[in-house]
Amino acid sequence: MVAIRSLTAILTYVIGLCGMIPLFPWLSAFPRVILIVGLLIGLWQDRRGEWLLKPWMQNVAIVPVFIYYALQFNRTNPAQPVISVLAVMLAVRLSGEKSVRHSLQIYTLSMFCLASSSLFDLNPVFLIYLGLLLFLVALALVLLTFQNQGHDMTVSKPDLKRIIFSALLMPVLTVPLLLLFFPIMPRTQMPLWHFLSPPPTRITGYSDAVEPGSQSSIAESRSLAFRAEMPRQVQKQLYWRGTVFNWTDGNKWTRVNKAPTEQAEFTGQTVRQLIYPEPSAVRTLIALDRPAVFALQRALRSPDGVFELSRITSGRLSYTVDSQTNGVIAQRNAINRRFYTQLPDLLPSRINDLASEIISSGEDDRTRVALLENYFRNGGYRYSTVDLVTGNRALEQFLFNKKQGNCEFFASSFALLLRAAGVPCRLVGGYLGGEYNDFGGYYLVTDAKAHVWVEAYIEGSGWERIDPSSFAANAGEVWVASRSRSLFLRFSMALDSLNYFWNRSVISYDFEQQVNIARQVGSRLQGINPSKILLNFVPYLAGIILLAILLFAVRRTSIFHTREQRVLSRFLEIVERDFSISTAEGGVGLFEIASLADNSHVSSFVEIYAGAVYHDRRLTDDEYLTLKHILLSLNSFGSKIS
Amino acid sequence: MNRSIHPHAFTNVFETLSRDYLQGKDEVLRLSVIALLVGGHILVEDLPGLGKTTVALALAGVTGLSFGRVQCTSDLLPSDITGLSIYNREEGHFSFQPGPIFNNIVLLDEINRAMPRTQSAMLEAMEERRVTIEGVTHPLPDPFMVFATQNPSDQSGTFLLPESQLDRFLICTGIGYPDEQLERQIIAGGGIRELVSNLVPLVTSAEIIAAKKEVHAVYLSDKVLSYIHNIILATRRHDLILTGLSTRAAINLAQAAKASAFLCGRDYVAPDDVKSIAVAVCAHRLIMRNEMTNADRGGVVRTIISSIALPLA
Repeated sequence: MVAIRSLTAILTYVIGLCGMIPLFPWLSAFPRVILIVGLLIGLWQDRRGEWLLKPWMQNVAIVPVFIYYALQFNRTNPAQPVISVLAVMLAVRLSGEKSVRHSLQIYTLSMFCLASSSLFDLNPVFLIYLGLLLFLVALALVLLTFQNQGHDMTVSKPDLKRIIFSALLMPVLTVPLLLLFFPIMPRTQMPLWHFLSPPPTRITGYSDAVEPGSQSSIAESRSLAFRAEMPRQVQKQLYWRGTVFNWTDGNKWTRVNKAPTEQAEFTGQTVRQLIYPEPSAVRTLIALDRPAVFALQRALRSPDGVFELSRITSGRLSYTVDSQTNGVIAQRNAINRRFYTQLPDLLPSRINDLASEIISSGEDDRTRVALLENYFRNGGYRYSTVDLVTGNRALEQFLFNKKQGNCEFFASSFALLLRAAGVPCRLVGGYLGGEYNDFGGYYLVTDAKAHVWVEAYIEGSGWERIDPSSFAANAGEVWVASRSRSLFLRFSMALDSLNYFWNRSVISYDFEQQVNIARQVGSRLQGINPSKILLNFVPYLAGIILLAILLFAVRRTSIFHTREQRVLSRFLEIVERDFSISTAEGGVGLFEIASLADNSHVSSFVEIYAGAVYHDRRLTDDEYLTLKHILLSLNSFGSKIS
Repeated sequence: MNRSIHPHAFTNVFETLSRDYLQGKDEVLRLSVIALLVGGHILVEDLPGLGKTTVALALAGVTGLSFGRVQCTSDLLPSDITGLSIYNREEGHFSFQPGPIFNNIVLLDEINRAMPRTQSAMLEAMEERRVTIEGVTHPLPDPFMVFATQNPSDQSGTFLLPESQLDRFLICTGIGYPDEQLERQIIAGGGIRELVSNLVPLVTSAEIIAAKKEVHAVYLSDKVLSYIHNIILATRRHDLILTGLSTRAAINLAQAAKASAFLCGRDYVAPDDVKSIAVAVCAHRLIMRNEMTNADRGGVVRTIISSIALPLA
């Protein structure tokens, strides 16, 4: 037969050691000594089977240590006090009696100790300890449930084997599953919150071509396109550059990949963004217009400021971009004007007429652009995503008849007219605007924000951003009027920031990011004044402690035992244990106990004790010592017979 | 302990008796000695032939005290016990002839056979410790103890002692059959009356008087006092009991406990002492409810005792 209790005791010590040993080298001298002493005291008391250290003594002993380390809490090194407190708590628990509750506390503390050892050292041995702990704790937990059923439960060897086998089966089975699930589950490509992005009906996000007139209305999709972590920007400059359409057939704008060489010169201030695009099948990389420095190795740069992935990856990615946002990009060399003024052979006559009118009125690029802008502004054009012109001559219809369209109509027709007027230009597809999430400090851009605008080359200045959609008569309503930040929006923003941080820190796991977060936490901690906080909490703490003491005192009035009561209860305990005499509720007199026990120690204890108590006097110091000696020898006697 | 008489002497008395002469009667012997030391009386209720008389004789023999015996019958007169004045023709006056009650230990055998009148005369003498005959008061000797017996099964022609008179007995106990082994030994050894009559006294009467003083001086702590009081109160509240224990019963309980402690060699009373004599001291004094008159009073007392926690600290 094997006593469950002794098994759990051994396991508890081993588990305690598993937590202690890895942390030990990083501890300062005091917690080290305490750990060793605590362990030794625990072992010694376990051997004797008598617990001189009562749990309340231990709990009281921890309090000053805790306060000391709380005051020691150092801004530059917050870890040391924490691990010291952990170690001391572990030591204190190891030193005391290992009740089920205390055993569980030891397991938890050991886990914490082991975990905190990884703060100092990323050693592969850590994994060995971790595995060991997992197995041992699983085993110990099963055995503890047995112990909880019966304090002195014993099991036969074959039964014990079965128990151990099934207890070990649990971690053995979970580990491979854990290994399988752990890398997969959190890094799934599925959005965790479909809240902001119900399945799209039709995506308006920019595509390979801008083809106004291909559909009569555009369904807006709230599908998330990307997030960009950056400081808040002026809303008007939030043009997210995606791709450039540089070739047109009169109706459709597409991209010809062999864009002529040009050399942009970035002179203005740049804004740094950290972009987290949602996974998609598009290779184009988004950045605030116009990206100057792109920190992504796999990105291919086109001369016209378009960045593409060399190949589509399935995983999430993130990249840092520095952009110049003023909308004017100077060029070092002259651009290929012919390429950017390419037009189809046949243009509608009304367009040609308008263009030649502009050419004749304006001498240079700038005046021509201004003339065209005026034409648009005064033309009574309205921005709309419904009731669009369709068909082959959609642009002409839009320009001269319907005068209502979305950004594609505005941009395409504007660019077409510019080219007809001899001004080099191209269409830029991307996104406009975005909701700034104050919780997360990032812009959230949905596919509904997809936008097309025009870049015109103005001799002497460079590429200038022109948004023809803003020339619409109702542009103010659509573009300028900021959406009121409804409660719902704020709520969805808060939700999204959760999603965002999840993506950021778990899915696109990046060690540097983690270090940065840790640093940020550290720098925030530096702003905290621990002594001040402690001072503020002293009244509360005192109140709580007082309340606890009061409750405890009410529940157990006998908290302050007299010396007599202490020796008596110890004596009764021993008698009950070793002589199996039930002493409950004062049913048996002391002399009765003595005659039943028929033991000289018991008799002498009873004589001395009763001699004092039934004489209505306290025990003298000598008597007290003698009684304690008797109890000690009784105890050793008991352990011998048991 | 600075004492004029060591309790071991008394421990010896009944150890000697129970070992050498009265095997299996330790309890009744102990109770008898307690009664003797307190100055109370003992009523032994049991069937004939279980050694009631022998116990009394042996006690007298071992203590060297004078012994008187009264075999109660229904025609027994009070004067047969107390004695009477007889005219002495030679001296020309009445002289008092003391009855058997003028002994240290008086065995009243089958006390329930005596008429109530005789019973009350005896009980008066027990209580007063003196006898007044024809205007002259004769004090009874100092260790004085009545060792009464009664046969509980023999109901015809008996006069059961009224409760008020049962209260006069410090202790009421039975003897019980000896266990099988012991009884065989006793049968094999034959009667021990002769042996008992040749007993050598182990204590003197002066020692007994000194011991009585010692017993009186035994310390009774507040804790034990409350314990006794709790027992008394519990009997007064008990469902089966009509009338609980009187104050005299409580006094007797304390006295008997003191004697018990003295016999154990202690100068203080432990709750164990109270517990050990409670049934013997209390049970016969309980007046049960009408429907419960045949209930086991000893059992009732034992349940009461077990319901009250002994003061251990």
